[in-house]
Amino acid sequence: MEGRAVVVGVGESPYYKRGGASESEFQLACIAIRNAVADAGLTMADVDGFASYMDRNEPVRLSNALGTGDLHFTGQTFGGGGNGTAAAVALADMAVSAGYAECVVVFRSLAQGQFHRYGQAGKSRRAGGSAAYTSPYGMLSAAQICAMQTMRWMHDHGVTQDSLAEVALACFAHAQRNPRAVRYGSPLTREEYHASRWIAEPLHLYDCCPENDGAAAIVVTTAERARDCAQPGVPIVAAAQGLAHRGGGAAFTEDGFPTAHYDLVARQLWNRAGVKPADVPVAQFYENFTGPVLMAIAEMGFCEPGEINDFVADGGIQLGGRLPINTSGGNLAEAYIHGFGCVVEAVRQMRGTSTCQVDGADLSLVVAGPGFAPGSAVLFGRDS
Amino acid sequence: MTTTGTDVTGPLPDDWTLPRLGRVNTEWFTSGKLLVQTCNQCGTRQHPPEEICHHCGSMDLGHTELGPNGTVHSFTVAHYAVNRALADAVPYAVVLVTLDDDPSIRIIGNVLDADPGEVHIGMPVTATWVERTDENGSVQLIQWVSR
Repeated sequence: MEGRAVVVGVGESPYYKRGGASESEFQLACIAIRNAVADAGLTMADVDGFASYMDRNEPVRLSNALGTGDLHFTGQTFGGGGNGTAAAVALADMAVSAGYAECVVVFRSLAQGQFHRYGQAGKSRRAGGSAAYTSPYGMLSAAQICAMQTMRWMHDHGVTQDSLAEVALACFAHAQRNPRAVRYGSPLTREEYHASRWIAEPLHLYDCCPENDGAAAIVVTTAERARDCAQPGVPIVAAAQGLAHRGGGAAFTEDGFPTAHYDLVARQLWNRAGVKPADVPVAQFYENFTGPVLMAIAEMGFCEPGEINDFVADGGIQLGGRLPINTSGGNLAEAYIHGFGCVVEAVRQMRGTSTCQVDGADLSLVVAGPGFAPGSAVLFGRDS
Repeated sequence: MTTTGTDVTGPLPDDWTLPRLGRVNTEWFTSGKLLVQTCNQCGTRQHPPEEICHHCGSMDLGHTELGPNGTVHSFTVAHYAVNRALADAVPYAVVLVTLDDDPSIRIIGNVLDADPGEVHIGMPVTATWVERTDENGSVQLIQWVSR
């Protein structure tokens, strides 16, 4: 199922530590979108659609402020969080491939210094819905939720704390080559990882994504239109979103606990693309926390859960290893833009312009936020 | 705060968040019993309760009382207080318990009589209820003690 839609532009705002941006979150969105459109060699008048996930900066305001052309498509995934990162790209793929729109911007802008901090939780007198079963017991944050999943998964498969560390070490190592990364110039050692404080066992500080301010965007258009653009089109080979039967229910009651919610995504993605995990030379795995990344690596089919310690050891997920992941530094060490930096980096790998380029890579995978349902993933290819 | 079956009140502040009662969860949060929602048409159990049976689609739903014994299936120890009101409560353990009568049912809670470092996967526990009251009324929160 070779998609007809391609990515022709990528752009970012500067990335900041939380509270570091002098621009508003809306301005950060505008900067990233403007940069992506310019990168494509297009103008705002060409933009006729917007897609995102969980974003406050809605398309009517963006369209007016940026002076886009007439809009033909807007779409955003339901609820959730970073699990919608790749699904938002899929929305643009659908809109463009089906002819509803011709030039769709997919973006995410997130300034945690200006709004709610994802690492904290409000105190309410009463909690309703699924939170009624968790908040009264002090289970309140994404870190605590992913810690609960990770703890059981480590127990079931003999996964070591050092394997969690490998994810953080890969991200920080790759960020040292990326001047855009917030952690550029701040390497992490294994000793510093293990010495860092607990957030929620088994997650240390360096297992957890930071809070940042920034925005990232891509431009999706047709292969025909891309021929006149400034950049080679990077094809969207396949995308998938998945929620298994009785999956993702409140308070871990789902069938299959613990799961990162990627088994179903994997089956769809590999079938649509006509390739297998071993064909993929580079991947960006959304790190909310390191444990769910390991779960997603296994569920996507790169190894069995019981093989994960060996898969990630000895630089297995660093440049030159079995599967280099998060080559920009990812959410952990480039910046936490709710995962959209991972999409931009995956496109750069197909252009050959990553600061941590995997030589000869012809497929580039993005796996969105693990541990929250539904999961989503997108596979990019090379312009042929 | 009063408790049933234990003198221990758990790790969180006395005025911490309570569940909001709604259309389907009132029995769960007020009965002081392990009443698991059960379809009156097909007998399927489901937890948390919903407004419709996921198996047959019936909206005629009742409850089955299950035994109180359970096993810690997973847990985390929260060290970072995600809200200032929890600053004195950390570190505290949150457990995910499977019921010995029906391991497909999992319930979040705290182990009232164990230190965070004592909580482990496979730990045998039994249910107890803690009565909590605010301006909206009283609830019976299911909690756990070691056995």
